[in-house]
Amino acid sequence: MADLKVKDLRLRLGDNEILKGVSLDVTPGQVVALLGPSGSGKTTLLRAIAGLEMPHAGSIAIGDNVFYDAGRGIELPAEKRGLGLVFQSYALWPHRNVFDNVAYGLKLRGTSTLEIKGRVDKTLAQIGLGALAERFPHQLSGGQQQRVAIARALVYEPPVILLDEPLSNLDAKLREEARAWLRTLIVTLGLSAIHVTHDQVEAMAIADQVVLLDAGTVAQVGPPTELYNKPATLFAAEFMGSNNRLDGTLVEVNGASATMQVFGERITGQAHTKAAPGAKTVGIIRLERVRCATAPGPNRLKMQLKAPMYLGERWELVFAREQLTVRAYAAAPLEPGEHYVEFPADALWVF
Amino acid sequence: MPIIVYRFLVLGITALAVLAPIALVVYQSFLTAPFFDRAARLSLSAYSFVFAEEDFWQALWTTAAIAGGMAAIAVPLGALLAFLMVRTDVPGRQYLEPLILIPIFVSAVVIAFGYVVAVGPVGIFSTLAKDVLGFVPWNLYSLFSLIAIAGLTHVPHVYLYSAAALRGLGTDLEEAARVSGANPLQVALNVSLPMIGPAILFAGVLVFFLGFELFGLPLVLGDPQDVLVLSTYLFKLTNKLGVPSYQLMAVAVVVIIAITAPLVFMQRLLLRQAQRYVSVRGKGLKTQALRLGPWRWVAFGTIVFWLFITVVVPLTGITLRSFVVSWGQGVNLLDVLTFDHYRELLDYPNVVRGIVNTLGIGVIGGAVSVACYTAIALAVHRWNSGWTRLVDYLVMVPRAMPGLVAGLALLWVFLFVAFLSPLRSTMVSIWLAYSIVWLAYGMRLVSGTLLQVGPELEEAARVSGAGDLRVKRDVTVPLIKYGMLASWLLVFLIFVREYSTGIYLLGPGTEVIGSLLVSLWGTGAIDLVSALSVVNVMMIGVGLAVAVRLGVRLHG
Ligand SMILES: Nc1ncnc2c1ncn2[C@@H]1O[C@H](COP(=O)(O)OP(=O)(O)O)[C@@H](O)[C@H]1O
Ligand SMILES: [Mg+2]
Repeated sequence: MADLKVKDLRLRLGDNEILKGVSLDVTPGQVVALLGPSGSGKTTLLRAIAGLEMPHAGSIAIGDNVFYDAGRGIELPAEKRGLGLVFQSYALWPHRNVFDNVAYGLKLRGTSTLEIKGRVDKTLAQIGLGALAERFPHQLSGGQQQRVAIARALVYEPPVILLDEPLSNLDAKLREEARAWLRTLIVTLGLSAIHVTHDQVEAMAIADQVVLLDAGTVAQVGPPTELYNKPATLFAAEFMGSNNRLDGTLVEVNGASATMQVFGERITGQAHTKAAPGAKTVGIIRLERVRCATAPGPNRLKMQLKAPMYLGERWELVFAREQLTVRAYAAAPLEPGEHYVEFPADALWVF
Repeated sequence: MPIIVYRFLVLGITALAVLAPIALVVYQSFLTAPFFDRAARLSLSAYSFVFAEEDFWQALWTTAAIAGGMAAIAVPLGALLAFLMVRTDVPGRQYLEPLILIPIFVSAVVIAFGYVVAVGPVGIFSTLAKDVLGFVPWNLYSLFSLIAIAGLTHVPHVYLYSAAALRGLGTDLEEAARVSGANPLQVALNVSLPMIGPAILFAGVLVFFLGFELFGLPLVLGDPQDVLVLSTYLFKLTNKLGVPSYQLMAVAVVVIIAITAPLVFMQRLLLRQAQRYVSVRGKGLKTQALRLGPWRWVAFGTIVFWLFITVVVPLTGITLRSFVVSWGQGVNLLDVLTFDHYRELLDYPNVVRGIVNTLGIGVIGGAVSVACYTAIALAVHRWNSGWTRLVDYLVMVPRAMPGLVAGLALLWVFLFVAFLSPLRSTMVSIWLAYSIVWLAYGMRLVSGTLLQVGPELEEAARVSGAGDLRVKRDVTVPLIKYGMLASWLLVFLIFVREYSTGIYLLGPGTEVIGSLLVSLWGTGAIDLVSALSVVNVMMIGVGLAVAVRLGVRLHG
């Protein structure tokens, strides 16, 4: 099997250019998370790959099987692409029971009744719904419906299965369980998948590769650890994780490190900017990397601790100084009052 | 078959069915003789003849007066009725609702006959009044009565649109008015009704338009005093010159369509505006009924009185009449009771055929029509193309043709196209005429149910590997099954009620109750007419009962 390759895809809905040249690559056996804020074009991209939206430039192909190529005027209709798609709304057919919902794709492929029975039963067993084959969609819980939708999309063994926020309709606790379940299912079945989500934790948990989308363009691509630890842009840095934002003025850029000035103190971090000294600059640091200290020192700011908040497994501390608010985690609460907050140089990105 | 072939095939057939009759009529109107006459020449003589006729102008002005008067009566009453039913605590609202809609579903000729036998010069209520008062305090045969009856029987049309608009409107603005000290009437007049203004305006234009289509009421009630409206003028033209004066009829038809077509177009614009208005403000909030206090009984009484005048009087009149030999001053009804009229129905083969045909056209014809409407709706469903606008307009075209006109035009098509001629004397001709006349209505019903189908259900099938037609067969059609069933019921009700469309097509083999009633009325066979009317009302009653039972929304 070959890679699913999307190249420089552009798509317009009405007068708006929704996709502005998106490229991505799914190698067989890989789960790619398509991550981005709401309205960034994730669903549109997924639908374009499935053949439900019509791009006006670029190409989509799996190896020699070209789905869409603006240059060559190729446009394969959705039904000929052989992909699996799980809708955000699940879109289960209300007039068919679970078995028939799942069996439909096989029926269309002219599979024999006997084989359909075997494969649907197997798939339903895999997703843990073997006993519910006779039920109708409205007789299922949200979590069960989601599983049926997944079964329906993978029963005919598509080269890639596309999932549009499949977990977003589940409540928070169920969602975490389903996340683990889905990842295991995809990995054990050796599937390739594109998983759309706006939840960065979900994306990192489920994917081998994360494609971060920003207003119709790809902001960054990479494995979850890279996206989290080495954000390429301010958008990527701010979108992933929980962050503190320091506004200041750039003092100097020295190779890989940059120094900014905040409240007259010099704070040094990783350079992600090429601006000239004196320019306004932004420092981003994850909450869990902020440290509390009792004495002044390099990369430390004197700040006031507001009331600490208990989160269960840890405490969240909120420090303030004029307009600046810094949040940090701690294993134990500190006394309110004056503290020194440290921004380790290897954890602070200066944009 | 690729879907595009299917689409254009359906588009072509629809265009042909809709445009051919009109084209033929227009062509005929420019001839000097019937189109099958070899001597026929192109000329404007038919127009000059008709436009020189005093009767024609008289009919035109009368029609306009009736249409205007009708709207003037129906609009305020309908809007107020909607306010009372939707927003206030009038007693027994859930029982009143289906009763209010009865005038829409009962054939206008039946209602007209009912009025004649109930409150005509020798009607049962008139004789009663004469016994008690010594004189009859009303005169059914006057233009005023005609307008009043037409207006009162069209209150439900206004009611339907106003009520729908009111239901879509949040009550917060009304509550604000109440808190500021407005009484219920002031709330209605100053807040609620102005807010649904666009819907009321639409309903007004609709009723005015229906005024131009009016046929049964003026035919029955206007005839004794020689009041002609455009449709009855057309009807009387049939043998004006001794020979079939097709060219004159064609001119009358062209005039009618020239008036109704802009009204149809206007309705379309207004409806869109009304819907936009509602969707901007509509919150679909749970509404709290406005308390009328003792006035609720006044409102209740008014509604019941209106129902009495428009439903009870004509329907009891015609029913009573069908069970008695005769009535008059001093006749004891118990002495003249009889079932003979119903037995007599069976003596006339054409009447028996008419009853069977009516059931057939309602049940079978209705089903086939709904299938056709669905075929058209499916052809444009999810079609991303400018052609769908063309279909929208095509569907609107027959709206501008009153049933009488459409029946006539279809008759000519059957005469004109040689290979269709054998079908003229079969129920196929009636079915085609009915289907075309009710095309817009049926399409609205079916499209309404199609709108409910989520696009993702269809897309899911496509991704699974189903082609466009397969998606329609496997997903779309099964999902609208219930909606199609409901449409079938509503189309049944309408086909069974229909009387004007079949008039020109009436002949041995094509009898339906509606057109038979009109022709029997012309012969003065009042006994048969009453019994047959009751049979017709019963069929509709059964259909309505089934519809209500199944929870079908009576308003498409
Ligand atoms: N039919 C449409 N016409 C015009 N714009 C649309 C249409 N559908 C979606 N959009 C716009 O396209 C953008 C991307 O939408 P979508 O792909 O659904 O985003 P996401 O799934 O990332 O939340 C949004 O800004 C949305 O407003
Ligand atoms: Mg989305």
